Amino acid sequence: MKRNKALFAGVSAMTLVLGLAACGGSDDEGGNDSFNEGGTAAGGKNASAVGPAPALEGAKPGGEMTVLAPDPDDGPTSLDPAGLWSVTDNGIAQDLLFRSLTTFRQNGKGGYELVPDLATDLGTPSEDFKTWTFTLKDGIKWENGKPVTAEEVAFGIKRSFDGDTFATGPGTSYSKPFFEGGEDYNGPYAKGAPADFPGVEVDGNKIVLHMAKPFPEMDFYSIFPAIGPVPLDAPAADYGLKPLSTGPYKIEKYTPNQELVLVKNENWDAKTDPARRQLLDKYTFKFGVDPTVAGKTVLSDSGKNTVVTALESPTYSQARKDGKEAQTPIGPQPCTSFVMPNYTKVKELEVRQALAYAYDYENVWAAGGEIPGVTRANGVSNPDLGFNLLPPGMVGRKVWNGPEGQPAITFDPAESKKLLKEAGYEPGQYEVSFVYDATTPQGEAAAEQRKNGYEESGFKVKMYPYTAGSLYDVWTNPDSKLYKKINLLGTAWCQDWPSSATFLPPIVKTGAAYNTGAFSEKAIDDQMDAISAMPQDEQAAAWGELEQKVMNEYQPVINTGFYNTIYGVGSSVAGFNNDISVGGAPDYRTMSIK
Amino acid sequence: MTLPVAELSTENPIGPVGEGERKKIAGRSPTRIAIDRLRKDPIAVVCFAFVLLFVIIAVFAGTICDLLGVSTETVRASTRIDLVTLMPLKGPPNHGFDPEHPFGVAPGSGTDNLAVWIEGCRTSMYLASVSAILSTIIGVTLGLLAGFLGGIFDTVISFMTDLFLCFPFLLAALAVAPIINERFATDTAKLKFVSFYALVAILVFFGWMGVARLVRGEVLSLREREFVKAARVIGVPTHRILIREMLPNLIAPIVVSFSLGLPAYVSAEAGLSFLGIGVFGRESWGRSIAAATKYWEEYPLFLLEPVIGIAVLVVALNLLGDAIRDAFDPKTRR
Repeated sequence: MKRNKALFAGVSAMTLVLGLAACGGSDDEGGNDSFNEGGTAAGGKNASAVGPAPALEGAKPGGEMTVLAPDPDDGPTSLDPAGLWSVTDNGIAQDLLFRSLTTFRQNGKGGYELVPDLATDLGTPSEDFKTWTFTLKDGIKWENGKPVTAEEVAFGIKRSFDGDTFATGPGTSYSKPFFEGGEDYNGPYAKGAPADFPGVEVDGNKIVLHMAKPFPEMDFYSIFPAIGPVPLDAPAADYGLKPLSTGPYKIEKYTPNQELVLVKNENWDAKTDPARRQLLDKYTFKFGVDPTVAGKTVLSDSGKNTVVTALESPTYSQARKDGKEAQTPIGPQPCTSFVMPNYTKVKELEVRQALAYAYDYENVWAAGGEIPGVTRANGVSNPDLGFNLLPPGMVGRKVWNGPEGQPAITFDPAESKKLLKEAGYEPGQYEVSFVYDATTPQGEAAAEQRKNGYEESGFKVKMYPYTAGSLYDVWTNPDSKLYKKINLLGTAWCQDWPSSATFLPPIVKTGAAYNTGAFSEKAIDDQMDAISAMPQDEQAAAWGELEQKVMNEYQPVINTGFYNTIYGVGSSVAGFNNDISVGGAPDYRTMSIK
Repeated sequence: MTLPVAELSTENPIGPVGEGERKKIAGRSPTRIAIDRLRKDPIAVVCFAFVLLFVIIAVFAGTICDLLGVSTETVRASTRIDLVTLMPLKGPPNHGFDPEHPFGVAPGSGTDNLAVWIEGCRTSMYLASVSAILSTIIGVTLGLLAGFLGGIFDTVISFMTDLFLCFPFLLAALAVAPIINERFATDTAKLKFVSFYALVAILVFFGWMGVARLVRGEVLSLREREFVKAARVIGVPTHRILIREMLPNLIAPIVVSFSLGLPAYVSAEAGLSFLGIGVFGRESWGRSIAAATKYWEEYPLFLLEPVIGIAVLVVALNLLGDAIRDAFDPKTRR
């Protein structure tokens, strides 16, 4: 999933691509308290949760709130449920507007648990996880008072197969590959679309989903608005401008990429909804706001009812100085950024390992405007976080701080030179090359720090400035001139839900779009396929083992930091939470005005 | 009737005029007059001193940096900044003056501000001078040709002038920069060179029209003057008329437009660099400002340095340009 946020250059990765994230599972390894102040603590599943959502202590109904999303986060271009797949947009849509078959809610212990939403339970899978049956609750209404039917849910799911109309949606990654006949089905709007799609069946108020291959995580995938109802007469293109709400709020005014005003939906029934609340009278979202203005507003009196989704580090430092710690909470995001050596060019394991010791982590972050240990962190700032491929809070994850038998990773030029020597290279002999974002002074400064680190560690460095767009244009395009010149690439990745299945395969599987280092080992591919077919409760540990194996034996990626975002919370806002279930956005279901 | 002798002699002094006296009434060229006037104008003198200072800084940037012991080289950030606050360990804003880094160091990366400032001054001055010279040459040439030759030349050149005047400069800059960067993306050294001269080209491309119009207008009136007609009658070739007869009479408007063009280019370069489409791979005041705006509250000096640099240079150049215009204008009397 796309992140509507700028991530500063220096860190190799610029745009987090996938990132609908969720809580940890049942036996979280933890050990990341200071980094994960918001807590990715275990939430698990709660199939018996019923509405209304538990009352919040001291939460007063009423009041209006303004939410500012600073530039370059320009919010939703369309609010079509089938097209929503980015942190900011999904946070708003899932928490306030659209209900889907299942959803996440805070479980009172700080974690997020999976609960039924439109469905009566979390769905019943067949033994081989190839058929899922969901039963629709009674009494669910649209904002216009009409009842929501199972046909409408089925229609909504079918729309997610339309990769042309909803290119930004999650359907192409999950609906199409997993559902029976999904690869050939292009949604109900496509020319010559069959009236009956065998993958989605309706039986009374039951929705039966048929899979082409086992999909044990359909209940998690069902949190997306794409797996929810859409009126049968909805148009393909413009529905996203004025979609019908099923959640506690409905749209009063919506200007794409600028403003969204939400007011109470009278036809939402709290008794059917275990997760959402209707505390505030009105939400006003403003997108693409000037970051400095947003920071100033939220910390002043006039912004006491305001929430900012991402503050810049100078604003944060200033606020801390002024004693406003409570107003600038840090929200962890289940995301990792990587440097990815091109596996076909950087063949020696020792060289890839040396690169991990040659990256001057904290200095690169600082020069890029990130505060080490606050907005970026990994094993350098806190050994408990490790240098894993998986972000903290993932089920089955074990902290990995470096290859077996070698010192823990940190910026260590001597160790890097030693490893290079083992691979047969004298200092200054091995050339590494990378592209960096030259559009901002910070991007350049960070690249300079990175270059210095590599050079001190015995590498020869060539770096190429890039100003024409996102670095992903280069990293994911093997035909690009620059791609052919460089041997260090990168990616930043967020999980889609708390399963390594949404993290390891996209990064290390042969041919995966964001496996920019082109890592390819048949043994690892086979093992990932095998784990996907395992019973769900055994998967977590198996993924964890696989991650250790991959990192120890191949080191295909170098962890260059886990992400945190800094929120700005107005002085009158109560009940602020970091909703990691959508990848790190304010939890709009728990906030109220004091 | 005769006049008395005595009266005659007082009216007509006898003998040649003294050497000193002749100098006093000798004809002076308009340029000479203008320079004399400038020297008596205190604002012009002060501004000239400032401009001269900036020119010296720009020309001897490397030497000055060495003398002051500062350099733009990247150092390990943590040797100069606090990784928790990203603010410098020594010097402003949280500590006193640091003699090693008189202007402080940049938050985050720890690069020396003074060295960056000096290099930024060099970039600004160099780019502005090259652009102003080139656009003046192009403008004067086209203006001369259009005004003197008339006919189809005049029509075409005037049309081109109008066309370029209505084309949005910023849009062109925004469009051209990525194309060039993409084209030379794989050759960093060449990219540095090309991106700089691409910026010059853009500034020149959209900067010659004013001069061309001005010169054309002057030429239109000059070419009907007697000395030009006389030259034509005796068969002086056109290029000679243009260079020897017309050009010297156009010095005043050219100098004025050149001196007022310089500050415009300085600010244009800073503006483009601020937008991220300016010079690349070199220090520039515009880039410094872009980096510093976020830190205004925590570290005001960081932003003030480049801002003051640009402000002083542009104001000095503008006032100097105004003074030159006044000095060349026979109608102003002070």
